[in-house]
Amino acid sequence: MRYAYFPGCSLSSSGIEFNLSFQCVSRALGIDLVEVRDWVCCGASSAHATSHLLSIALPVLNLSHAENDGFDRLIAPCLACMSRFKAANVELEHDPELREKIHEVFDYKYQGKVKVYHPLEVFLEMGLERIREKIRKKLKGLKVVCYYGCVLTRPPKVAQFDNVENPQSMDSIIRTLGAEAIDWSYKTECCGVSMTLTRSDIVLKLSNDILREAKEAGADAIVVCCPLCQANLDGRQRQIEEIYKTRYELPILYITQLMGLAFGAYPKEVGIQKLITSPREALGLIGLM
Amino acid sequence: MSVVFSKENLKLARKIQSLTGENVMLCYQCKKCTLGCPSAYTMKMKPHELMRAIQLGLEEEISWSGTLWICLSCETCNTRCPQDINILRVIDGFREMSKDMNYYNPQPFIPALHRIFMALVERFGKIYELGLALAINLRMLTPFKDIDMAYPMLSRGKLKLLPHKSRGAKELQQVMARIRKIEKG
Ligand code: SF4
Ligand code: SF4
Repeated sequence: MRYAYFPGCSLSSSGIEFNLSFQCVSRALGIDLVEVRDWVCCGASSAHATSHLLSIALPVLNLSHAENDGFDRLIAPCLACMSRFKAANVELEHDPELREKIHEVFDYKYQGKVKVYHPLEVFLEMGLERIREKIRKKLKGLKVVCYYGCVLTRPPKVAQFDNVENPQSMDSIIRTLGAEAIDWSYKTECCGVSMTLTRSDIVLKLSNDILREAKEAGADAIVVCCPLCQANLDGRQRQIEEIYKTRYELPILYITQLMGLAFGAYPKEVGIQKLITSPREALGLIGLM
Repeated sequence: MSVVFSKENLKLARKIQSLTGENVMLCYQCKKCTLGCPSAYTMKMKPHELMRAIQLGLEEEISWSGTLWICLSCETCNTRCPQDINILRVIDGFREMSKDMNYYNPQPFIPALHRIFMALVERFGKIYELGLALAINLRMLTPFKDIDMAYPMLSRGKLKLLPHKSRGAKELQQVMARIRKIEKG
């Protein structure tokens, strides 16, 4: 199946291994990705804090390119982008006044025909059976917690995916890969990343809560599906350990990295070397490093 | 201080409603928003108190509390509100309005960050992470904040020294210019 692909700003910098591993898994599963022509930033959490119209216009600019080029499905792996794109579609559908204003801004009149997906939605739509078929190496012996972050399922009117307070999509993929997905209560707690440059004290507290709970649950690693969660929980882990006088050493892996490894890819192909907290021990458990 | 519902005080709630479509008068103070809010622990005015303050027209108190800017945009409150109020949309509307208000804001760096973010996006079409971090650090007078995070990112090629310009930057600049024109009326 052919999709317009919106990597967004993060996937070419701090989330580069998400890009590598998602592309690797897509090739294996037959997901055909075509990068959105001349894409620009979605505005993340800054556009909607400054101008509502702008926060809709930026996703629409990208969606129009996809629509104009004949796509009716778009994948955005970063949850901030995905959420802004979905919100733009939903608001335009329900608010004729906004639609009119947006049409004033653009020469091309976006018809709202491009459906927005997160990679997890695409995987689940293809089915766990399809994933199972591709497995060359079961990840037996690895215990993880799945951390879904804030907006994969929230608000349900916009996200329209998975169980809002207790999502299961990643857990079911992890179990299909042969690893153990431990149940825990921090799946959708916010890590605070939007405040990372200005109020890092908030980010350190919220991220510490998540790391502590994961450790207490007995996880060898945290599995994520968003480059912002990953950069935060991985990149700030040393600071957190120092401030809270503790030791976590919890690798923060993308779901697509574990899928890729299970499909037989080399660690390098899925960007394992890009992780800051070393996953050597965790991947050693499944004989991969 | 005693505050009452009055025609005068209702003006703020009506203003928010016309801007965002959200009716804060529906809030009956159940506190579900606050109980799930990850940054409520550090807010002087919690989300449910913010809703009450809007009902009572306490514009200045809201600005002084800093709550508008400490909100992380995590969407938990909207998801759980039994009255189906989109609280984040209310907060965003207030943030937008505050551009034209001259009240004290105890968190000036957060709106400053949003402005720098958008200025960089307008220039390059994408975000330039290192530039953004440096610019806001200088504004906060903490030039070396988080410098310990930079090296592991740089050495793994996860942080670019120089900005990359999107080919779509020009179109984006046109769009932003048109929006400014529409918003000026
Ligand atoms: S959850 Fe809704 S009704 Fe309850 S206090 Fe918050 S805003 Fe008011
Ligand atoms: S969106 Fe803001 S106010 Fe609502 S729960 Fe999240 S941080 Fe709190």
